[in-house]
Amino acid sequence: MSAGREPIVTVRNLRLWYYTRRGVYKALNGVDLEVMRGEVLGVAGESGCGKSTLGLTIMGLLPRNAAIVDGEVLVDGFDVVKPLREYYKKSKRFRPDKNEDVLKRLHKEMMRIRGVKVTMVFQEPMTALNPVMPVGYQIAEVVLQHNMSLLAKRRLARARATKDDVKEALNFLRANDYAGLIEYVKAKGLEGLEDQMIAIWRRRDLHDLVKEIRVLSLCCDPVNPIAESGLRYTARTNKLPAAPVIRQLVRRELVKEGYRKAAEFLGLLGMPEPEKVVRMYPHELSGGMRQRVVIATAMINNPELVILDEPTSALDVTVQAGILELLGELKQQTNAAFIFISHDLSILYQVSDRVAIMYAGKVVEVGPRDAVFKEPKHPYTQMLMEAVPTLEPHELKGIKGEVPDLRNPPKGCMFHPRCPYAMPICREREPPMVDLGGGHRVSCWLYAGGDRK
Amino acid sequence: MAKGGLTSRILTPERKLSLQVFFSNKLAVVGLVIVLAYVADALIVQFAPWLIGLKYPFKVIPDYSNPVPQPPSWKHPFGTTYPGIDLLRAVVKAIRFDLGLSVVIVVPGALLGIVIGIVATYFGGWVDDVLMRLTDIFFSVPYLVLAIAIGYALGRNITSMVIALIIVWWPLYARYTRSVTLQVKELTFIEAARAAGASNYKIMFRHILPNALPPVLVQMSMDLGTIMLTISGLAFIGFLPVANIPELGYLSTLGLNYINTAPWAVIVPGVFIVIFAVAVYLLGMGLMDVINPRRRSSL
Amino acid sequence: MIIAGRGLRVYFPVKGVRGASVRAVDDVDVEVKEGEIVGLVGESGSGKTTLGRALIRLIEPTAGEALFEIPDHELERYDEARERGDAETMKLISSKYSVLRLKGKALKEFRRKVGIVFQDPYSSLDPRMRIADIIAEPMIETGAYDRDKAMEKVVDLLEEVQLPSEFADRYPHELSGGQRQRVAIARGIATDPRFVVLDEPTSALDVSVQAEILELLRELRETHRMAMLFITHNISVVSYMADRIYVMYAGKLMEKGPKAEVIRKPAHPYTQALISAVPEVGRLMRRVVLKGDVPSLVSPPKGCRFHPRCPVAIATCGWTADEVAEALKRVLEARYPELSQRARLRPLGELELEVRGLSAPELKDVVERESEFNRALKSIQSVSEEGGRVMVRLTKHSEPRMVEVARGHLAACHLLSASS
Repeated sequence: MSAGREPIVTVRNLRLWYYTRRGVYKALNGVDLEVMRGEVLGVAGESGCGKSTLGLTIMGLLPRNAAIVDGEVLVDGFDVVKPLREYYKKSKRFRPDKNEDVLKRLHKEMMRIRGVKVTMVFQEPMTALNPVMPVGYQIAEVVLQHNMSLLAKRRLARARATKDDVKEALNFLRANDYAGLIEYVKAKGLEGLEDQMIAIWRRRDLHDLVKEIRVLSLCCDPVNPIAESGLRYTARTNKLPAAPVIRQLVRRELVKEGYRKAAEFLGLLGMPEPEKVVRMYPHELSGGMRQRVVIATAMINNPELVILDEPTSALDVTVQAGILELLGELKQQTNAAFIFISHDLSILYQVSDRVAIMYAGKVVEVGPRDAVFKEPKHPYTQMLMEAVPTLEPHELKGIKGEVPDLRNPPKGCMFHPRCPYAMPICREREPPMVDLGGGHRVSCWLYAGGDRK
Repeated sequence: MAKGGLTSRILTPERKLSLQVFFSNKLAVVGLVIVLAYVADALIVQFAPWLIGLKYPFKVIPDYSNPVPQPPSWKHPFGTTYPGIDLLRAVVKAIRFDLGLSVVIVVPGALLGIVIGIVATYFGGWVDDVLMRLTDIFFSVPYLVLAIAIGYALGRNITSMVIALIIVWWPLYARYTRSVTLQVKELTFIEAARAAGASNYKIMFRHILPNALPPVLVQMSMDLGTIMLTISGLAFIGFLPVANIPELGYLSTLGLNYINTAPWAVIVPGVFIVIFAVAVYLLGMGLMDVINPRRRSSL
Repeated sequence: MIIAGRGLRVYFPVKGVRGASVRAVDDVDVEVKEGEIVGLVGESGSGKTTLGRALIRLIEPTAGEALFEIPDHELERYDEARERGDAETMKLISSKYSVLRLKGKALKEFRRKVGIVFQDPYSSLDPRMRIADIIAEPMIETGAYDRDKAMEKVVDLLEEVQLPSEFADRYPHELSGGQRQRVAIARGIATDPRFVVLDEPTSALDVSVQAEILELLRELRETHRMAMLFITHNISVVSYMADRIYVMYAGKLMEKGPKAEVIRKPAHPYTQALISAVPEVGRLMRRVVLKGDVPSLVSPPKGCRFHPRCPVAIATCGWTADEVAEALKRVLEARYPELSQRARLRPLGELELEVRGLSAPELKDVVERESEFNRALKSIQSVSEEGGRVMVRLTKHSEPRMVEVARGHLAACHLLSASS
């Protein structure tokens, strides 16, 4: 999928402070960043640089003691941090409980977006999944939350379709004419059927014959007449019917349908025997499979943005390679944008279109992958590259000094205490973002006309 | 290489944080104040009773000339109870007695329980099984029955009560220490100590114990309240045959016959038991906040 | 040879299931020469961590031998005796050098001569002890120095690991991760050991800090002439640090050899897959070959433990009738739905499979077409119709032995022994 030129996320001058008993940590200090539709943006940095905080802020998943001191975070035009920023600017003294009230209201608004427009994948698949529920249910839940009507439509379509209907639909599939199929389905009033058919057709682990058999079986599946009217209601309104008995029946049908969809999706993600897997519990699965399940929950509602926070750090390197390959495919097949957060530059090289390097709460360099990796301009980026060990060993150089204490960040450029090229101006003023052309930007006085005296 | 003066060495940033966390919890502070007041009372009565004009600090003095309980007045701010015992003086003496007893019971019981808990959990295997089953046995004994039994065997006196309660109390600490030890045992620095050649004894008492202690100490402080309730309860049912002991539960029994006409005689000693139990509980909760690493850092 | 493990096995009993054990380390030989750094690589479940600890008796091996400070010629004699099955000689030699039966003072002496550095800088230091006490502990406990002398040495050690001497009075929570790991290293080398085990010493650190720590370790090796066993899952790190590399998988040794050889010319399919899965800046990874996951260590695969995932497995690699039945079932379901309806598969014993509903030619056809991608089918030796059913017989399997590929470079793979 080609990357669009308009951004889906725009972060401008984001400043976030954590108020703790040990002091105020200035976690984000003026972050400027965009994420373009359909691209993969890699966010790199070491511990304490703020990359995880940035991801959480975009999702609006902040703890109560996080104050948005300034800046905006526009997700598809909606400023996620506006209420928090306004509270902070208005209040004379920051109070976490008041901040929490603002957060709660924000959560309500974010519920429209989370899970459906913007989703997140965390590092530890084991803790992201509920250990007492089958994984299929957890995937189904995500669809139930946001897209009940799709499940209802699917079920109804299967009940209404006749053998001839599916036979004709199969012709469209054989010709790979998805658009035609969608039209046909609409014309026949069988919306929801195409979702199932296309999911089966796109699987690569099944032989074409098998796929045809399965497509042909998507018909003549009558539904309980009591539930039918309820399902029609849900298909129309995307809500559960209110009447008690009907509500339960409809819910049961939807959950079953959710399991089917979950299995289909897992099949698309390359999971072997997905029909069996959906009934299994997280502890019965391996790390790689679990992470695929988590990715499934993140992608099944076709989000526009997926944030992945160190998704492969807890996995073995061979399993990790499989997940990275999967992400590469997802990038091709969907038009979602991805933000891939990792401390591992080599992984980011594999998946990113553009890369942003963060240090002490700021973006110090950003640009197209090859530009940043092959010709790093910021001293920190350069030194970071030299510190990464490679298969063919080269001389490793660390970076002297420590990450700054964010309760008392250095004046001027955050990196100056450790920078071998530090100039007087670096100690005084924060460097501006300089555009080096081709989308490659650096925040460093070396490129902003600072005097080397 | 001491940086700064003595104050900054004692008052490290971590300790300052601990104090900050504790004092931000108003209820805990209240608890602390009350507990300190009780402790002060006990110390004064024990070592300097003349300071507050007590001639007979270790027993209550009845006044048979005026045995009927009198309501609170200027002369007797808490009133009196049968037979003519000034409640204020009696309570002040009783606090020392009860608090002292509680400490005498909790500390040895805890020590015994902690040692058994650490040893059992550290060694695991059959040692663990045997010691834990032993713990379970003692755990299941109801203190009342045991106290009566021991009282029957050794005579109904304070010593018997103390023995009985220690016997019944230590299993709690064994259990409690066990859960903390299980966590600490898995931490890598224990393995490191073994790699350094430390003996089992060293590991148990130099590494595991100091790390297991804080939550156990919190539990101990909260237990003081529970124990006091228990002692008072036993005294209330007449376990101790001796008369005129300054003991809050016993004092309550004195006024029982007059409960309709002179309720203060029963209520006042009881209130002081309850206040202590509640105060020590609040103190304990405050301490738990201090030692819980997550509660420390967030706001 | 500073330390040599021979036939080491570490089995952990499974709770509640009698006779079942997790075979974390299963018959592994390893050796470390004086002053060299041996890298032990593997993924989760490989047993590398357990092996490191077993070698210095932090875990007691279930079987096998660990010989410390053994002259090369004696080790040769031991190995030869092992080949011959000469238990007498083996016992004679091991009684001199084995560490497994040491007790009391001799054990403390051993502890003085070996050190260990753990992975997690946050839990490997006792939070209630001062840095000075942490570093001094091994010196005092092994009797190397008395308390005063130990404290003096602490100052020297702090300097060696590039920490300011004020840190001696601090507590671990006041230090950063990198600083704590330096303390852990200082503790590990405090008694001036001849052999140090480092268990993922930099995995929990940022990459810029890791670079410094690795550099420090290299320097220390130079100045102290310490031999090291460097355990890690990160192949690039091991490539930087190690002289020789050992590759483990599911409790067994797959390959060993000089670093450059193993990295550039890996002989074992697992090593090849592992290296190809390592992401690097400037190189996009090829298609991933490895599917599935690390096997159960309670009942590991027969023959070569890697065979279920091996893209080039052959007939003798360890296929059982159950595995072949499973593979057949799947391939029929996915690609031959008509046949799949008819087929009834039943394993009879380890190497025999009964098939009903298909004819021998049909089956043979499927096998021919699919065996490249379903290696299990390669193990089918014969397909014959017998009394109304088709009997499938599999090749006998065996565990691959370590075969020399080049000087000092060995791998345990049937593909290599087949050609030699």
